[in-house]
Amino acid sequence: MEHKIKSIIQKLNLDRIQFADARITITDNESIYFSNGFLRDFSSNKESINVGVRVLIRGCWGFAGSNDLSEASIERMIKTAITNAESGSNFKTEPENFPALPATKAEYIFTPEINPFQMDKEEKLDYLGKLATAIKPQGKIVYSMLVAVFERQEKYYANSEGSYSHTVYYNTMPMMLVSASDGQQNQSRTWPGDMSGGRAGFEQFYHYDFENNTERIIKEATDLLKAPTVSEKQADIIIGGSHLALQLHESVGHATEADRIFGMEISYAGKTFVKPEMLGKFRYGSPVVNIYSDSTDPRGMGFHPMDDEGVPGKKVDIISQGILKDLQSSRYIAHKLGLEPSSNMKASFADDFPLVRMTNCCLAPGKGSLDELIASTERGYLVDFTKTWSIDDNRNNFQFTTEIGYRIEDGRIVGIVKEPTYYGITQPFWNACDAVCGEEEWQYYGTFSCGKGEPGQSMLLSHGVAPARFRNVDMIVKI
Amino acid sequence: MDLITYLKDQLTLQPQLLWVLYDQSWSTDFLRFYRSQTNYNISKDNQTLSISLYKDKRSYYFTIYEPTRDKIDAALKEALEILDKLPPDPDFVDLEDDLTLAEPREVVNNIEQVPLELKTAILNRIASAVKPHGFEIYGTFICNFSHYRMISSNKLDKSSSSSPIYLEVKAVHKDSEITVLQSFGGEDFAKFDEAEFIYGLLNKIEHCKNPVVDVEAGEYDVILAPRCVAEFMQYLSWCMDARSYDERDSYFEDKLNVQVFPPHISITDDPTDPDLIRQDYGSGGHIYRPLKLIENGVFKAFMCDNYYHHKTGLPKNGNQGSCLSIAPGESSLEEMIKSVKNGLYISSLHYMNFINMKETSITGLTRDGTFLIKDGKIVNVVNSLRFTERIDRILNNVIALENRAHTTAFSDNYSYFDISSTKAPHALIKDFQISSSTHTI
Repeated sequence: MEHKIKSIIQKLNLDRIQFADARITITDNESIYFSNGFLRDFSSNKESINVGVRVLIRGCWGFAGSNDLSEASIERMIKTAITNAESGSNFKTEPENFPALPATKAEYIFTPEINPFQMDKEEKLDYLGKLATAIKPQGKIVYSMLVAVFERQEKYYANSEGSYSHTVYYNTMPMMLVSASDGQQNQSRTWPGDMSGGRAGFEQFYHYDFENNTERIIKEATDLLKAPTVSEKQADIIIGGSHLALQLHESVGHATEADRIFGMEISYAGKTFVKPEMLGKFRYGSPVVNIYSDSTDPRGMGFHPMDDEGVPGKKVDIISQGILKDLQSSRYIAHKLGLEPSSNMKASFADDFPLVRMTNCCLAPGKGSLDELIASTERGYLVDFTKTWSIDDNRNNFQFTTEIGYRIEDGRIVGIVKEPTYYGITQPFWNACDAVCGEEEWQYYGTFSCGKGEPGQSMLLSHGVAPARFRNVDMIVKI
Repeated sequence: MDLITYLKDQLTLQPQLLWVLYDQSWSTDFLRFYRSQTNYNISKDNQTLSISLYKDKRSYYFTIYEPTRDKIDAALKEALEILDKLPPDPDFVDLEDDLTLAEPREVVNNIEQVPLELKTAILNRIASAVKPHGFEIYGTFICNFSHYRMISSNKLDKSSSSSPIYLEVKAVHKDSEITVLQSFGGEDFAKFDEAEFIYGLLNKIEHCKNPVVDVEAGEYDVILAPRCVAEFMQYLSWCMDARSYDERDSYFEDKLNVQVFPPHISITDDPTDPDLIRQDYGSGGHIYRPLKLIENGVFKAFMCDNYYHHKTGLPKNGNQGSCLSIAPGESSLEEMIKSVKNGLYISSLHYMNFINMKETSITGLTRDGTFLIKDGKIVNVVNSLRFTERIDRILNNVIALENRAHTTAFSDNYSYFDISSTKAPHALIKDFQISSSTHTI
């Protein structure tokens, strides 16, 4: 494949092409889905090959992608990408500048502790089947599911500047859900929540200790049927890691993607309230809020030695002591803003066009344990496990509902509430953050399904967070 | 012998197996633009051959890429070994057995009909039309072409082609970011009237001249544009799916043949409507026919495939909610606007999610043109707003429906990229719950 991708780049060595790059991805994935204790779906896609060619001509991008790696197909794709760029330049008023970068080379092979594609299938299904049986309908539980998704992706990248990288990653996303009903209402609980994906093999199941959480979610889903709702208009909330990862994702991660500033995502994902003049001045959050983009940390799914336009992996401070410092950017946008490119250009597969994407977008740890944070909270709620999420076009007005809230009184958890909903505006919300737990509570959470771009791409990415407290958050919404 | 025939022959040699082959090719030409210029042009194509095998209630699904006889032999050998190790699904009974074929039709490949040069020429003219008003255009111009053939051990052998077009233009004011939206979708580009399209966009821009205002949270009479009515309908249709019924989270669980909405609400899933992007076959290859979901306010049917038919006992129809249509009413849009003393016109919705599907409670936002109506006239653009509502409440609060329905296409962009269409009139809703303002456009 190394020879193949380098030969594609050689064919793109034409005077009229300012810059060109090519990618090949080979992806295996396996999806296992149990419903009500029974195996409903076992799907496997092996060695799915995709190839993509991107060219910049007269300041305009053209792209062609395919899953056909034959020579004839490659020739056709090169012609199509060139035609797409040339035709597109007829509707182009500001040709894109693309300052050169030095050539770099990178190789990275991740080895999971337990390779999900090579482990014994009976052992795998036996383990998952036992979990599925443990949560199958019983008592008030009327529906249950268990999902495991495994992915291995090998990627080859080369560009006309001489950069080349070859990487292999394994990612796993495990999740289980139970739904309880009393005939009038349904309440559900998941474990470990929607952000369960990680750079790992089958060991991700053991990391989240699934066996010891089946009874917990059955009990909590059942108890939620009789639980009260939040009664206060405003409350102090501690957001647990699983849900805080999504709060960070929606209100900081997407908001600081620089392509949104220029409206490149208006047609689908939206724009952002962030403006270039805010850099270095805007108080995004309180002084305890430190947020960075880090594609150099191999623990997260956002790790890469080089992004999909040849920029080496980087750690970039986005918000430092509450002040907006930098953005997630591409080479073109970084140049336009006078910034260094942040190594955030990624595509899901080789036949997708690279976009500004979160990699490992993290909230830096503060101090203390979750128990200490709860103990220092007079009244409030610990909320976790996302149920509903929604944020506006500018990443400004959000509203979230979690599956469960744990009521805190005098520094202790004294009960639960169902479907706690909170809402707010991004800047005052992050300025209301007065504490972030320490290293001992900090970990990566991850999603397999961050949607962006057209045609749509689902990106795998991670968020490192520790639980954090936010004061006087708006809580009650009339439905 | 072609590879599909070879694969079919190999599978037929295994009489203990039930199987489905799905051979699909798909391509797209996709122009994305921003600030009245090209962002990028993408051409993509792919071909996939996927197989579902069933043996003694055990099932396994896999895909073969770039198939050859050797690859097929190896993949089948491995699949049969895996299949024997899987636990059974006692709810599986049989594969789809509906052999009805759709009426043959000619499908033109719109990727060839609407080349890139034509797309950029049209976009240049639209951009020129809005420029004097201080607006620039953002959006997508997409043509797809797909073809699939489905063959099964139950003697199904069905093929279908489709070539939808989707043009979505958002005109955005360079300074204020006030946005209005105009779109076209369908399979026949001859139905695209460029002059009317531009007129529609300029007409919306006309309503953007007064200062932007904010409104407080509260209950408002609102006129929902057809796109918004269609989106609420799409979300509601998830509750009309047999899977949702089986998982016990359907709002309609115990409401079959019950009057759930006012008599003027009728919703049909209708692939035969010539204004909609046609679907020949639904889930499992069942013929796709019109299905009345809500008739005069009465819930009439769940959309149900073969699997859930056997599991739940609901009647099978294969419908998927891909061609939803809500029947028009009796009012003109002008009459509806005139009847509103203090309310809102909502053009488009954003980032909706169910809070609790069984209750149809939902939250989301407005975007791309939210307007204040005062004393029967549209007077100001309003900042985008958040609503928190229940879809059943919205439909029960419909005061009037427009006397014509409009086709709206959607680019289904999240997990699987395709274009679908719906048909809906404007709707006047009383007491629509605005829960907060975004304070931004």
